[in-house]
Amino acid sequence: MHRKQILVAAAPVLIGTLALSSCSSSKSSSGASSGGGGKPTYTIGFQGPLTGPNAQLGINIDNAVKLAVQQANASGQLPFTLKVAEADDQGDPAKGPTAAQQLIGDSSVVGVVGPTFSGATKAAEPLFTQAGLASVSASATNSSLTDPGNGFKTFFRIVPPDSAQGTSAADYMAKVLKAKSVYLIDDKSDYGVGLCGNIKSQLGADGVAVTSDSVAAGTNDYSAVATKVANSGTQAAYYCGYYADAAPLAKALKNTSYAGKTLSDDGTNDPKFISLAGPASESWQFTCPCLSAAAATDATTQKFVSDYTASAKQPPGTYSPEGYDVANTLIAVMKPLGTNVTRAAVVNGLRSVDYKGLTKEIKFQPNGEVTEKGIYVYAVQNGKITELGTVDTLISKG
Amino acid sequence: MCLSQHFWQFLVPGITLGCLYALIAIGYTLVYGVLQLINFAHSEIFMTGGFAGLFMVQALTNVGVVPSGAQSWLIMFAGISCGALFGGIVAFLLERVAYRPLRRRNAPRLIYLITAIGASLFLFNLAGKLFGRDKVNIPAIYTNGVVFTVFGAQVRVQQLIIVCTAVFMMLMLDLLVNRTKLGSGIRAVAQDSQTASLMGVNINRVISQTFVIGGVLGGAAGFLFGTYLNVHYQMGFLPGIKAFAAAVLGGIGNIRGAMIGGLLLGIVESLSQSCMSSQWIDVVAFVVLILVLMFRPTGILGQRLGRAA
Repeated sequence: MHRKQILVAAAPVLIGTLALSSCSSSKSSSGASSGGGGKPTYTIGFQGPLTGPNAQLGINIDNAVKLAVQQANASGQLPFTLKVAEADDQGDPAKGPTAAQQLIGDSSVVGVVGPTFSGATKAAEPLFTQAGLASVSASATNSSLTDPGNGFKTFFRIVPPDSAQGTSAADYMAKVLKAKSVYLIDDKSDYGVGLCGNIKSQLGADGVAVTSDSVAAGTNDYSAVATKVANSGTQAAYYCGYYADAAPLAKALKNTSYAGKTLSDDGTNDPKFISLAGPASESWQFTCPCLSAAAATDATTQKFVSDYTASAKQPPGTYSPEGYDVANTLIAVMKPLGTNVTRAAVVNGLRSVDYKGLTKEIKFQPNGEVTEKGIYVYAVQNGKITELGTVDTLISKG
Repeated sequence: MCLSQHFWQFLVPGITLGCLYALIAIGYTLVYGVLQLINFAHSEIFMTGGFAGLFMVQALTNVGVVPSGAQSWLIMFAGISCGALFGGIVAFLLERVAYRPLRRRNAPRLIYLITAIGASLFLFNLAGKLFGRDKVNIPAIYTNGVVFTVFGAQVRVQQLIIVCTAVFMMLMLDLLVNRTKLGSGIRAVAQDSQTASLMGVNINRVISQTFVIGGVLGGAAGFLFGTYLNVHYQMGFLPGIKAFAAAVLGGIGNIRGAMIGGLLLGIVESLSQSCMSSQWIDVVAFVVLILVLMFRPTGILGQRLGRAA
């Protein structure tokens, strides 16, 4: 409690200084600065957690963006030089606006990949709209983000919303796992509560008994929750949240007599979950609107995996392919604009873009939602995340 | 009704958690007893113990191989000792660097508190810088099987180790404080430090030793807690606050009070889960604290290390 008070007191000061510093830095690099070869330089921004307990998800996307930009520059076909600017929001809604302001203040930034987490997106998006700067998220899936009522005019995302994931996850548990009862646990974040809410309503429609519970992320003990799950006699438990908290929950569940299925979402679908939970991660399943690069067999994706591994010194993780697609979509929009790339032109370009990415064909609906949807199911088998297929194909197989 | 159903299943993890809270709470209470100082940096001593034990275990185990038999015991012992050792060292340094200079200058109480918060911020950020800000898993040291069942509740190796270690350490501490010369020194300083110094007790040394004892217990608890969950640079924050609440609950400055307070808090937290949603878990702990303080402002056993312990 004492620490919180200090943070509260320090926050305005911090935001003030950051805003000042970003103002001053924007003056020095006003407009598109000329690169070495006489070409103008434009910047693609990235916003997401690069530090903090859930940093891996941000790093996965950041590395993919860097790779896409590096490849685009090396191709020699661009009428401009591209740079990447990173803004670390730690995945924290409270830090979202500050990070967004950093990117907005740098006038060479013409498009942003991110924000990464839904909570931070919600907090940052009013600023992006005000600045007329396009932000294309590769991972923020909270359904309400694309509500017209929000007025987020420059927000796009290439992943289907939680409502789609929630519906598919519920159908998967009801029709493929044939669970008669499901225990839902959310982490009280925007993302977790939204997703679990969607799952719950679809499970109700599927005629499955639901018990709901919520545990704030960062709680120090999951043993009581695990005991509740075990005692409820449920056939499946679904955690709506991120791997940093899913892992201790998995460990606690392993300590009980619980024998039902364990599932979680795209926030947990990361090798980090396995390293944190250890043997307790075995046979957990994840629904994810994401394509796993490691499990893919086509040549383009395999080339992406090897290029990514070479440049990032680690294999691609969750949302790396999506991050790569977003960066390349932005580049595809910017390229025809030649040396007249402006923030407004990028936003307009995104409205009509049709780009064939690694994960899907990227076309946006007027509300910024991607047209193509597809929810995949993954499972931890022998300490590795393995793709089981899309929910639709699994249901049709029975 | 909800309490009676699955009572034992909730009681077992409650006792486990309560023992950990108690170990940490002792650190708060000991220091408060001799200095009337809330050492908020104690949660970072706990965190240090977690990391020290983690590195020890990482050095002793092979990746992917779960040790068994005597090897498990040895590694577990090494982990606990390493956590305790580094907890003690950090507590010692903390007292030397942060608090002793203040004492020499006769600083007002408030300065101690601010220093404690500053030391806490410094330590956990230093750990974040050095060891990364990601959670880290302590490799499995043993196969966590079921040892026995009480009234339908499974008791596992991990829970047994935590409870046994904690109880053993608390018994040792109780003997130390009540039966040894060092213990009477601590009690003397807690009762009346001026008189104690007139009687020939070296106050600085006693205070230093008190910090080290609290640090040893806190560090060991940090490692045990790490094996239970994960190790993380901010892992001390929440358990630290809970343990502080436990110390106040039992009567701050009272060692047996801290033990009872910690145990009670863990059990109440766990049992309350059977009746309400898990999001209330942190609320329950503090509601209990407020209720007890309303009717017994000095905590369950009352204050004063010197008299009650």
